[in-house]
Amino acid sequence: MLNVLMLGIGQCGNRILDAVNRESFGGSSKLSKYYSRQKFPSRVETLAINTAVNDLKELQFTAAKDRFHVPNLHGVGANRSLGKQGFWDNREMIMEEIEKRGDFDIAFVMTSASGGTGSSFTPLIIHELKKRYNKITVVAVVVLPFREEGSIYLQNAAFSMRDIMEVDCDGIILVDNQYLKRLSGDIKTAYDRINDMVAERILFLIESLDSEMLSVTDLGDFKTVMRGGLRMGTLGFYESDKKTGSLTSAIDGSIKPGGLLYPADVYEDAARAMIIIQGSREYLDVDEITKAVEKLSTKIGQVFKGIVIKKGRPKVLSVFTLAQVPDLELLYAQAAQAIQDEKGRKTRAKKQLDDAFAYIEDLEEVY
Amino acid sequence: MGLIYIVVVALLAFSIISAPMAAEASEDEKKDSDIITRDFSFRVGEGVRIGDYRVELTNVVSVMDGLVEVKVWKRASQFEDWRVMESRRDVNLDGGQDRGGLTLMVTEIFDRDTVRMRATYRSDYGYPEKYITERALVPASIPKLEVSTSADNPAVRSGDEVKVTIIVRNVGNDTARDVALQDMPPLPQFRYVAGYPPKIRNQLQQGESDTAIYSMVAVTEGEVTIPAMSARYADSKGTIYTESSSSVKVEIKPKRRPDIVMEVQPPAPIDHGGRGIINVSIRNEGDGSAYRVEVRGQLRSDGDGLRLEAGALDRSFFEIPPGGRESYSAAVIGARSGSYVLDLKASYQGDGEAMQKETAFEVAVLERKFEYLYYLPIVPVVIIGIWLYRRYREYKY
Repeated sequence: MLNVLMLGIGQCGNRILDAVNRESFGGSSKLSKYYSRQKFPSRVETLAINTAVNDLKELQFTAAKDRFHVPNLHGVGANRSLGKQGFWDNREMIMEEIEKRGDFDIAFVMTSASGGTGSSFTPLIIHELKKRYNKITVVAVVVLPFREEGSIYLQNAAFSMRDIMEVDCDGIILVDNQYLKRLSGDIKTAYDRINDMVAERILFLIESLDSEMLSVTDLGDFKTVMRGGLRMGTLGFYESDKKTGSLTSAIDGSIKPGGLLYPADVYEDAARAMIIIQGSREYLDVDEITKAVEKLSTKIGQVFKGIVIKKGRPKVLSVFTLAQVPDLELLYAQAAQAIQDEKGRKTRAKKQLDDAFAYIEDLEEVY
Repeated sequence: MGLIYIVVVALLAFSIISAPMAAEASEDEKKDSDIITRDFSFRVGEGVRIGDYRVELTNVVSVMDGLVEVKVWKRASQFEDWRVMESRRDVNLDGGQDRGGLTLMVTEIFDRDTVRMRATYRSDYGYPEKYITERALVPASIPKLEVSTSADNPAVRSGDEVKVTIIVRNVGNDTARDVALQDMPPLPQFRYVAGYPPKIRNQLQQGESDTAIYSMVAVTEGEVTIPAMSARYADSKGTIYTESSSSVKVEIKPKRRPDIVMEVQPPAPIDHGGRGIINVSIRNEGDGSAYRVEVRGQLRSDGDGLRLEAGALDRSFFEIPPGGRESYSAAVIGARSGSYVLDLKASYQGDGEAMQKETAFEVAVLERKFEYLYYLPIVPVVIIGIWLYRRYREYKY
């Protein structure tokens, strides 16, 4: 059985974690926590970490003992520097809270790349996890901001992504809010949908890695996939229904842009992939699956496949890393522009302030 | 003088005229009243005067043989005659009736003391007149026994011993000889233990007494009359006498028996799973002690609805005297509702006889009470409430 640690850092990470916990109750009802119990496929420990206590209070399905407020902080105001300082000041306390939950095989660190706490804490926590847990696989689930959310968010995303890559994270699963906001008209509903999608896929992945499979994929395969290409990838998901014609079309559905959390052309951009198919035995034609995977392999290279027998219509989860991320450069360009703009605004403000102060230079207050 | 002469003459003339008439009348009277017969009764020691004759009854020799002894003598003469007269036979004395003497006949002998006699004699001897003879005035030397019978306890119980005392006392003025108590057949109501048949001394001097005691055990019940005891004896002359005591009544009551009465005070209906106390009282209402009283209690019903500690009702008492009482208690636990019957048996001994008494009593165990049943619907609500509150607290931050 896998020992899984799921950390939700910052407001966004907390909400994704809360969605995971809600999903584990087996229903979407707000009251499910009162009449049901969490059922994780493996031993899963969850912990929501935040510097803003109000963000922790908003969580609905995360037990109080699984919420950790970094003391003496009331949010870091999207300031990564403050966030990093806050982490260093409370590092032992934070890591002790994690370590008391036991040993782990894999850790999913879920965060927003743009926020203050998440973007600053995540690289440092990944670094500490790698240092303290031997052979742990750490995968960051990073949510990229709306591009128009603000210049600070953009620069935070840019620096945060870089920091995460520098601390030897085993892989980053990208979730692009900009790309997914199309799911709903209003932002709040879009956020909730995005969180639910991430939660559903992560739990599916954990369950598959920890199940007896007809065709085996395991944590090692997953780690190999995540360490391919740029070590950045995303998740695709497809749940077939009566209209779905074949398993091949279901597998295709999981790697089509509509089923992905980050916009990519899998056939063109993917470096490595893992396809996990779950469903009743009568739906699972191994030959058909093999052919579909082989077809994908000719385009991508290495594709791991896993087949899990479980009652129900076929569900397909695709995990892949990208050899090239076209939008990433655009993001960094936007971030750089935002930094320049921010810097210009600061310079202009400072100059205006200096000019204003110049009027009273050499003067004294007179009463 | 002349007058006297006249009177004398007249009397003389009258006497001359009337003399033949008087002689004729006296002759007739002599013819008619010459011999008369008179009956009289008298006792030994009494006499009868008939003219100058004296007839004295000296002894009744034998009543059965009809022999009496009489002494007849004549005053102012030498005549004296002792005769033993046979009943219903004339005895002529001093020439008999025809010669101016007496003719006597014993007509009836009443007893050893009294006889009736008929005397025939000249009528001029007059009527017989009784008198007490000089011999009678002198006390007779005869023995006289008094026999008394007594029981030491006129009211006994079956199985008790009765001592009968017979006292024979010679109150006469002569020695009683050949004294013997007459045999009496044993009474079936008694078992004779010792001293029976009673014996006394063969001879009792004047004023002497002897006592015979015999003991017997009453074996039946009811009123029994111990018959009069007769003593037979003889005087110096060999005359046989018999004296009897009065009879004695002895009441034989039933045997002393213990009578064990068991009183059980069962507990009030026991609550389901509750405990009850059984109070047992053993009382001897009989008039004899009960020995080796063994009381055994047993639950008649099967199952374990009523749990009685093994032997809790069992008790042993060596003796419970008449009127005595023994009490004890036993605890029972009602495990299941129902009505349970317990038997209590007492076996004991009284006067060597084994006896037994039984009684039964009932112990009720009530149905389980569900007093707090109305709380039942609240329980799930409370549980759910607690559950929800715990969950609320678990997720409250």
